Amino acid sequence: MNLSLRLFFALAALVLLYALPALAPFFYIFIGTQILILGLFAASFNLVFGYTGMLSFGHAAFYGMGAYATAMLLQSLQWPLLACLLVSFVAGLVLALIIGFFCVRLDEVYFAMLTLAFGMMVFGVAHQWRSVTNGSDGISGFSVGSLGLGLDLTLGNPAVYYRVVLVIVVLAGLALHRICNSSFGLILRAIRQNPERVAFCGLNIRLYRLAAFTIAGGFAGLAGGLMAPFLRIASPELAHWSTSAEPVLMTILGGSGYFLGPFLGAGLFVLLETWITSLTQSWMLFLGIILALMVMFFRRGVLGTVLDAIQARQRRRQP
Amino acid sequence: MAGLGLALLNSLDIGLLLFIIAVGLNIIFGVLNVINFAHGALYMLGAYMAFALMAGLGLPFWLTLLVAPLVVAAVAILVDRSMLRFVYQREVSDSLLLTFALLLILNEAVRLIWGTGIHVIDPPVPLRGAIDLPGGLSYPRYSVFVLLVGACTLVGLWLLFNRTRLGKIMRAAALDREMAQVLCINTRLVITGAFAFGAWLAALGGAVAAPMRAIDPGMGDKIIIESFIVVVIGGLGSFPGALLGAIILGLIHGLGGRYLPDANLVLPYIGMALVLLFKPHGLMGARKSA
Amino acid sequence: MKTPSRSVLLAVAMATAFAAGSAQAADPIRIGGIYLMSGSAASYGEFAKQGASLAIDEINAQGGVLGRPLAIQIEDSQGKAATAIQVARKMVYQDKVDLMMGLDSSGVAQGLVPVLPELGKPFMITHAATPDVTGKLCNKYTFRLSVNVNQNMMGAADIAADTGAVKWTTIGPDYAFGHQSWEFFSKYLKEKKPDAVLMEDQLAFPKFGAEDFTPFINSVMESKPDGILISLWGGDLVNFVRQANDRGFFKQGFKVLMSVGAATEVLTALGEQMPEDVWLGTRYWYGSWDNPVNAKFVDAYKKAWNQPPSYNAEGAYMAVYSFKNAIEKAGSVEPDQIIAALSGLTVPAPTGDLTFRAGDHQALIGPTWGLTGAMNAADKIRSLTQLHNFEGASVTPPVDPECKL
Repeated sequence: MNLSLRLFFALAALVLLYALPALAPFFYIFIGTQILILGLFAASFNLVFGYTGMLSFGHAAFYGMGAYATAMLLQSLQWPLLACLLVSFVAGLVLALIIGFFCVRLDEVYFAMLTLAFGMMVFGVAHQWRSVTNGSDGISGFSVGSLGLGLDLTLGNPAVYYRVVLVIVVLAGLALHRICNSSFGLILRAIRQNPERVAFCGLNIRLYRLAAFTIAGGFAGLAGGLMAPFLRIASPELAHWSTSAEPVLMTILGGSGYFLGPFLGAGLFVLLETWITSLTQSWMLFLGIILALMVMFFRRGVLGTVLDAIQARQRRRQP
Repeated sequence: MAGLGLALLNSLDIGLLLFIIAVGLNIIFGVLNVINFAHGALYMLGAYMAFALMAGLGLPFWLTLLVAPLVVAAVAILVDRSMLRFVYQREVSDSLLLTFALLLILNEAVRLIWGTGIHVIDPPVPLRGAIDLPGGLSYPRYSVFVLLVGACTLVGLWLLFNRTRLGKIMRAAALDREMAQVLCINTRLVITGAFAFGAWLAALGGAVAAPMRAIDPGMGDKIIIESFIVVVIGGLGSFPGALLGAIILGLIHGLGGRYLPDANLVLPYIGMALVLLFKPHGLMGARKSA
Repeated sequence: MKTPSRSVLLAVAMATAFAAGSAQAADPIRIGGIYLMSGSAASYGEFAKQGASLAIDEINAQGGVLGRPLAIQIEDSQGKAATAIQVARKMVYQDKVDLMMGLDSSGVAQGLVPVLPELGKPFMITHAATPDVTGKLCNKYTFRLSVNVNQNMMGAADIAADTGAVKWTTIGPDYAFGHQSWEFFSKYLKEKKPDAVLMEDQLAFPKFGAEDFTPFINSVMESKPDGILISLWGGDLVNFVRQANDRGFFKQGFKVLMSVGAATEVLTALGEQMPEDVWLGTRYWYGSWDNPVNAKFVDAYKKAWNQPPSYNAEGAYMAVYSFKNAIEKAGSVEPDQIIAALSGLTVPAPTGDLTFRAGDHQALIGPTWGLTGAMNAADKIRSLTQLHNFEGASVTPPVDPECKL
């Protein structure tokens, strides 16, 4: 597909997304907001997983950190939302730097387990440090005031909040895309495919891994900061390993090999969940079966499998 | 002083139970190179099987302890043949994902079959009540039983791995699968057998724990994190490591819960992180050859 | 590209007309319930569902409310406020419920209640006991017919003072409910018994859902209190009692009060293992009320489910009936009119007459406390002796000044 056609479709999609509140039933505004935020969360995870080749099971630590940062600022200082989100981004960045420093020394399995451990440590701290985080009851009862930048928007209105989230997620996504497609991103992909080779070229792979991990943590923190006002509460579960598993699932579902894979995966995941939970209590069973099938037979995810098929057909046409 | 003694006994109790479960995880990783995320669910399945056999069919406790883990091992063989064989040759993250999917499926299946409520079974009559210890303390008889089971399993496994041919085959397959195949060891059988054996151990832990804990659909999730911590502290693939890791975690829970209750959620993770900082492959783990 | 879009519009229009038409045939009044349907306290949600459906069946059999049948859908809060908020949004905006009820967890209530004004539908809390939701977090949409921590602890303090025990400690779950239970219990105990000693340094707050209570059991036994307030509930209480039994906890001579111990969910799971001579509290005990409403309710419930009704079941049952009475009084299903009707309303209940105080929408209801006795062979759970039904008006503190409805 050539560039101008791609651009046209991207713009058309954005216009449609912006117009969603006017087109779809009211409830879908919430679905849409959720998909956007979780998509950003999953895309930040994919920077670490799909591009750099590290499976982290503790990514929700940064997401939770960002959520708490925004919630606490909104509750006690009532800062404009943009200021809170900036703090959430930085908080995620810093936490990822600290945790990443310990984790990126290790390979594969140990990395997964150690990120899991640190993620659960953040959960444990959030759960037990009642004086600061209010323990398992979480930080709630805050309202979202102003956006900042002098823009006067009633963020309490779900449609307005949805559009704000859309703009922020698109901007963040563009930034992330830039990073993934830069020379830095190329090196990350090389590290994933053959770390020894890259090391022989004289590059410090540990530093690159740490950088990727840190950047991913920042964007996860941003996603968390967007989620707290949406949920109206920041609770320890946001840092639990079961929350860390969500971007993993979404990325596998959508496809880890493409930038938009996680976003598509987030959309599929949330829609499936909403649809299946209205039919049965056993949503987890279907999720498990779908994930199993994806891993066994469609490892490239929905987007990956579809695009691979299209590319294969194109290649067959050109002898 | 009495308090310390009780806390230590408690630690040993918790530790040995964790050891039984963690060894299974180690065996599965060692031979299959698969991190079994569903290991906690297999433990839970063992507990539910014990409940089904004792409360549902009225089997005596001793028979249940024999049968329940075997049933779960059979389920494990099924899972291995139908799901895991697709991911053996792939990178480790795929097996993590697949076993995670298995975890979700097993959790829901248990909920569908036995409902969401709490189930309870009692220890057999000779194991009820408490033993009186010096210092005016009493310790439950059943906990002593758990200690014995743990000790026997420890000895039995050591003998298996170091003195029997089967154990040697498993270790060989763990060290170098292709070489083992070349030497005409039926690796397919060893792999499935190892997975079933690991599951058997987890289910044994579950069946033994069932009279002590309430049986509910959330019990698997709690135990999987614990087993991961044990295995990471001790060293993946190391048998004495699993024992060491389990005892350490038992001590953290027993002593930490007693003297530092406000931090008892975080302590295991701090312990794990500390160990990994200085010994990235665990206290007794060794880097696997490529 | 005009033709496809026109036919799509036509199809959508037809579908909407069809849907609207069929809805008018038997448009039920929808109630949305949010309870704990999973995890270690899942039976609470299950029993609430049973109580609610009993009420709905009874009401529908007599023609429904304002000529319309009642319908309920119950979903799982999973014990998380975030989940409950999502579920509530879905129920209001997608499933179009008219009324809501539920909440087993005080933590969930604290998160959900501030969001209720946006959703604009009346919500009846039937279990969560934190005083905050009819206190500093109160709003006109929130009602509670269940005993809150304040009321229960007033009764508990009374019982505690009577036992004569001097040194008191607590074991409670590490969230709002556990901490607030001790906070109010210690305050009221000091008022009734000034020489009581509160062992503030030796309190135990295990995590909700912890499997292993032995470290806490050991440390409490070592600190040698005279009396213990236990606010654990659900699977935690079951686990705790079994592990405590093994360690001879109940043979040490402590006076033990379990603030919500008289839940049939727990008593059925424990059977004989619930020890004798322990004080158990509850918001409703099926065996302590001698009136026609209770007799009818207990009878019908036992017939339907072969077990005595728990307090959660009775709460859900009464929530439905309270809504029915309010709708009939208001003559409409509009939220504001229901709220106006419900505020200050008195409804006949198995516990006598239930009145929703206008100032904070909290029902004036007292706990029931009793001492465990011999096993009740017919119901297969411990019986309660020395039953105290605390009178609502006497144990309910005045409206919290922070609540301005």
